[in-house]
Amino acid sequence: MEQVGLAATADVSLWSLFMQAGFVVKLVMIGLIAASIWTWAIVVDKTLAFGKARRQLDSFEQVFWSGQSLEELYRTLADRQTSGMSAMFVAAMREWKKSFERGARSPIGLQMRIDRAMDVTLARESEALEARLGSLATIGSAGPFIGLFGTVVGIMTSFQAIAGSKSTNLAVVAPGIAEALLATAIGLLAAIPAVIAYNKFTADAGKITARMEGFADEFSAILSRQIDEKLQPRQAAQ
Amino acid sequence: MKASLATSAALHALVLTWALVTIGSPESFDVADVEAMPVDIVPIEELTQIQQGDKKAPMAEKSAPVPTKRQDPVVNAENSGDNDVDLKTPPTPNEKPQNTETAAAPPKAEKALPTPDPAEEPVEQVQPSEPASTPATEVAAEAEPKQEVTPEATPEEKPAEEAPAEVAEAEAMPDNVPVPEIKPQPPQPQTAKTPDRKNEEKKQEKKQAASAKESDFNADEVAALLNKTEAKGGGAKRSTETASLGGKKTTGGSKLSMSEMDALRGLIQNNWSIIPGMADATEVRIKVTMQLDPDGNIVGEPEVVATGGSDAARRALAGGARRAILKSAPFDKLPKDKYDAWSEVVVNFDPSEMM
Repeated sequence: MEQVGLAATADVSLWSLFMQAGFVVKLVMIGLIAASIWTWAIVVDKTLAFGKARRQLDSFEQVFWSGQSLEELYRTLADRQTSGMSAMFVAAMREWKKSFERGARSPIGLQMRIDRAMDVTLARESEALEARLGSLATIGSAGPFIGLFGTVVGIMTSFQAIAGSKSTNLAVVAPGIAEALLATAIGLLAAIPAVIAYNKFTADAGKITARMEGFADEFSAILSRQIDEKLQPRQAAQ
Repeated sequence: MKASLATSAALHALVLTWALVTIGSPESFDVADVEAMPVDIVPIEELTQIQQGDKKAPMAEKSAPVPTKRQDPVVNAENSGDNDVDLKTPPTPNEKPQNTETAAAPPKAEKALPTPDPAEEPVEQVQPSEPASTPATEVAAEAEPKQEVTPEATPEEKPAEEAPAEVAEAEAMPDNVPVPEIKPQPPQPQTAKTPDRKNEEKKQEKKQAASAKESDFNADEVAALLNKTEAKGGGAKRSTETASLGGKKTTGGSKLSMSEMDALRGLIQNNWSIIPGMADATEVRIKVTMQLDPDGNIVGEPEVVATGGSDAARRALAGGARRAILKSAPFDKLPKDKYDAWSEVVVNFDPSEMM
């Protein structure tokens, strides 16, 4: 009965639960909170980054298809920090310029070089888009397990303590189990947003990459036509 | 990235502080002591079954009618009362308290004999008592003999409260005059189910018959006739217990308890021997139906019905079951007060359980 009285007065608020927890459980909880912070940091970062990328794609496409001269567009963009489609455009134009300055002979070789340049840029851009999404996936899948580990350790220690106190009263058992379950709760709290965010951002990155691939193909077609137009008069003149 | 990390950390700090402040310590479960509600399981028999008692008496643990003045027990009496003979009719109060002896139960005057010939009387008197299976509304043809045999029949008039006026008229008529057109009295509601009453009556009738043969006058008979005044109705079951709430009579519905049934089963099983290794014996089922009298003796022959198995096995096992039943009789261990439950017993024999 004495133990019941003690247990009844025990503080079961979140903070006291955390402070009562053992070393391992505390470590797990802190780690999970850090993971949660990291997850949300990525979420905020990616939301902003993807929004920005989309806006840039929209504005670039608008400018590109506005009928403006590609030379002019290249000149305005060449000195700027570019990303996404504009980066691909600049890379392709740079390759084009370099080839013509040196007097390219083979139209096929020029075409291939331009495509390569755009592919490399596309890969770099999509890598930047998908950066840190891996850690979201890791947190999403491992978070519950880490929390469960904390719970198991916590319950283990609390059962050991119960064995020591030789009382199976629920009031004696409850605080230890509640404290242990807190670890799982935090694990789930970190993992659920991570999984959702991971799925959403992977899909978004896929969409943006597809859009850029489409642009690369179109631009490649335009350049190919240009190459033919520019090289044929020269060959005819010879 | 740094900015978003800072944002995330700030958000977490906010949420954690909010959680710590608002969630805090949950309300503890304070379970109030709830009084356990006593629950009785009341079988429907308890409600539909009426125990003998008094309608005005309070509920009591043991059912008992109003205590009777007399304590001499009358066998098999069902209706409570001070009467010698168990009658269903309620006791009528004496208008004139008489100091009459209450030794013998007089036969009831119920029906006028069509031929009041004194010579034939003894024979006729004995005859109606002979059939053992008289129906419930047994009518003892006893009205006339009294008139003829006893010239003192007139005193009957006085105490015969229950006897209707016609009886008085009939009795007031001169003795020994044949009265063929006497109005038959309406049969009284009196019923005599119990065999003992029959016995009593039989005895008396025999006595009367004997005395009538010897002489016309018999003091015993006169006394018996006089005593008739006392038999106004009411049962003969004595009671010493305090009266409890209940009806006139215990209605059926009493059941043998499991232990009583087990005792009966064990009794029969001990006497039932099976020849081991008999072919087909496991498929035979035997059903024995027997009637028991209140002392536990078997009335008549137990009816044995065997089904299943081969013919030989059936015959052998049925015989064994019958012997077991007969050997186990009388079943005097059965509770007498539950006679209505075991007046007819059906015993099912399953040899497969014995092998």
